[in-house]
Amino acid sequence: MKITEIRSERAGDSYFKILHDSGLTVYVYPKEGYRSAYAIIGTKYGSINTCFSLDDGDKITVPDGIAHYLEHKLFESAEGDAFTRYAETGASANAYTSFEKTCYLFSCTDNFDKSLEILLDFVRDPYFTAQTVAKEQGIIGQEIKMYDDSPDWRVMFNMLGCMYHHHPVKIDIAGTVESIAEITAEKLYDCYNVFYNLHNMALCVAGNVTVDQVLAICDRMLKPCEKHEIHNYFEEEPYEIVKPYIEQSFPVMMPLFNLGFKEKAEPMDEKTAAQTDILLSMLASPTSKLYRDLMDANLINNTFSFELFEGPGYCSVIFGGESRAPQQAAEMIKQYIAALKKEGLSREDFEMARKANYGDSVSGLNSVSNIANAIMTHHFSDNEIFTYINAVADTTFEEVSARFEQMLDVNNCVLSVIKPDSEE
Amino acid sequence: MSSINRQQIADGVYFSCVRDSRFKTMKLSVNLLVPLSADTASEYALLADVLTRSCKAYPDFTALSRKLCALYGADLSVNVSKMGECQLISLAAAGLDDRYALDDDSIAAELSALLCGVIFEPNIVDGAFVPSEVEQERRQLLDTIDAEYSEKRVYAIGKLVELMCEDERFGIPRYGTVENIKAATPQTLVQAWKNLLKTAVIEIIYIGDTRPDKAVEVFRTTLGAMDRQPAALHTEIIREAGEVKRCTEEADVSQAKLVMGFRAGAALPEETIWAEVLMSAVLGGTATSKLFCNVREKQSLCYYCASRYDKRKGILLVDSGVEPQNIEKLERGIMKEIEDIQNGVISDFEMESAKKALTNVYQSSNDSVSGIEAWVGSQLLTDYLTIEEVVAKTNAVTKEEVVEAAKRLQLDTVYVLKNKGGEQS
Repeated sequence: MKITEIRSERAGDSYFKILHDSGLTVYVYPKEGYRSAYAIIGTKYGSINTCFSLDDGDKITVPDGIAHYLEHKLFESAEGDAFTRYAETGASANAYTSFEKTCYLFSCTDNFDKSLEILLDFVRDPYFTAQTVAKEQGIIGQEIKMYDDSPDWRVMFNMLGCMYHHHPVKIDIAGTVESIAEITAEKLYDCYNVFYNLHNMALCVAGNVTVDQVLAICDRMLKPCEKHEIHNYFEEEPYEIVKPYIEQSFPVMMPLFNLGFKEKAEPMDEKTAAQTDILLSMLASPTSKLYRDLMDANLINNTFSFELFEGPGYCSVIFGGESRAPQQAAEMIKQYIAALKKEGLSREDFEMARKANYGDSVSGLNSVSNIANAIMTHHFSDNEIFTYINAVADTTFEEVSARFEQMLDVNNCVLSVIKPDSEE
Repeated sequence: MSSINRQQIADGVYFSCVRDSRFKTMKLSVNLLVPLSADTASEYALLADVLTRSCKAYPDFTALSRKLCALYGADLSVNVSKMGECQLISLAAAGLDDRYALDDDSIAAELSALLCGVIFEPNIVDGAFVPSEVEQERRQLLDTIDAEYSEKRVYAIGKLVELMCEDERFGIPRYGTVENIKAATPQTLVQAWKNLLKTAVIEIIYIGDTRPDKAVEVFRTTLGAMDRQPAALHTEIIREAGEVKRCTEEADVSQAKLVMGFRAGAALPEETIWAEVLMSAVLGGTATSKLFCNVREKQSLCYYCASRYDKRKGILLVDSGVEPQNIEKLERGIMKEIEDIQNGVISDFEMESAKKALTNVYQSSNDSVSGIEAWVGSQLLTDYLTIEEVVAKTNAVTKEEVVEAAKRLQLDTVYVLKNKGGEQS
């Protein structure tokens, strides 16, 4: 077992990375003076992993939404559900499925050891039967319908549908009522057996804990796992978008939009991520000229935001928010970017954005849930959080300018609009 | 928990200081409490936005934003909410603690000064706020009100409260009305600003490592020199529900929403609230609650079905999203769980798990700046209780008291939002 300490002078913190004998990668981030602890275990398996094979085995294709369905069902075992077991420790437990990972977590102020045992136990103990699978259809069906009524969710997926020809990131994480009807206990086991291998997983714990404490529980609970090669298959995705515009009528009074720029999808190291984050703040944070111009023209309000949206095989930059005139807002953003590419960025803007991004990333180390989730995200993209914070502090103006050259092609973007149904 | 030093620094002005070196950030918030009133709610809401948009020292939005950005991405935020029948206007500055600055910047002192400037030295020219600034914020506040219709769960809860409390001040929306927002002028907002500083009960909360002495002094001298007349704050508690009010609205939605509003028969400062809090947790506050286990898990009727108790207003709400054809079944299912509690059908496991879950929530709040702020904030206008004291009160509640708490519940209003024309979705 190999234990590495990772320190940050700037942030004044350190944490430990352990390659556990079972195959699991374990991170422990002790926070002095904290009463609570937060633990999260994740597998590199999300909604986009719908076509895969193991070692030299056959290619398996599974229904959309199955990773999320599995997340719901893993809480159950033959003896009952994990929530009931957590109830005895008082821990607050939850789980989530994203495009590229599935995570199970709890936070607690007492009985940490017992809660971690429960977490490691139920995640290693699948129990799927025809009956328990059927019961979940109604619950997840209502979860899907809840998202169908969410304009924020719809505006994004409509955009992704126009951006990606093939990549499954365009499909709803929970699938559809039709796709989940095809899910069976057997298919859930197929997915579980491939992706819930400890070599494909990580555990992050932050807060009132020690390395010894966490490792003692891992030693007790986890048996060594055989390593396998997992192959994920994605169809070749062209550089170009599918189509530049989509709109949907919706029961809203306030229209909203997403303007998404399709980017080349390449694995992103800490330096590139830092450059990109600083660049986007320079372009569109409330300090920017663009933000000011959009506001003065009454084209956006304080819901305006931007995001780098990236993962395995997909990458885009999304600007969005509420707007009474989404087309004009999108046009102004595109023109601003095109003009700035000719004129070049401002050094003063750069210096402010660098400081702001640095402040934000250090502030994130306050909260045990933030820390554990951030480490998990960095782990699955082969990055490290303190390296990222240093990269932000050390990024230069020239690097950001060079990054700008490679991004935000105004001829390769999609506008998605949600408009009030009264306007039909 | 972290020790809190609360002192009165002027007439109706209190300063709570939590010195804590565990965090990498500091936060200073100024919480102004006034009676919730249809006449003033809109102007105060708009005023709060205008105040945080610019000030004398940074007289336009971009200048102020750039200053915040240079202070390591500090936040200047505004939040307007209801606390019982008070309108709570919170203005806050938050940022990186000085220890983590890349240069020798004094972030905490600069941010505190900035917040004082925003509150006491606004951008007023010739007795009026700058008209273009007011128009920008008015437009955005009206957008915010329109946008409340977008998220249907939030919208449905808002509608229920409006209907249930239509004859009470609690029924006034936190931002007041569209008409009054439109009627405010750059001149009337100056009067509103003066009235707010004169009549609000002011609770200032500081959490951070650096000593906040300078900020305290500014607040003490500025507010001390004013002719302060803090308003009396009161919330009317209604215990009898009368005949159940029902309202169904239609919209093009795929999932119907059901919200049920109950008079809880207990409110601050009564000691019975602790039983009410626990009863709400047993009913629908956790993943082992009755609503979660029976209505969601056993009957597969919904994805969420939750109960929340407002101890200031003394009301309890249950809300859920459901297939339109299952609305009645869901309502019966919810009533059945309440009746079970009233009849004493509560297991030791249900009692214990609710107590443990609440204890965990209370104890966790001490581990974040926002948690501490929320804790201190949740106790405004009442005698201060520590986390340990609230944990003790929660754990002392008996099953009989939970039964009594459930018996006090009276269904007042039922609100349904569902798709148009029939029950097919």
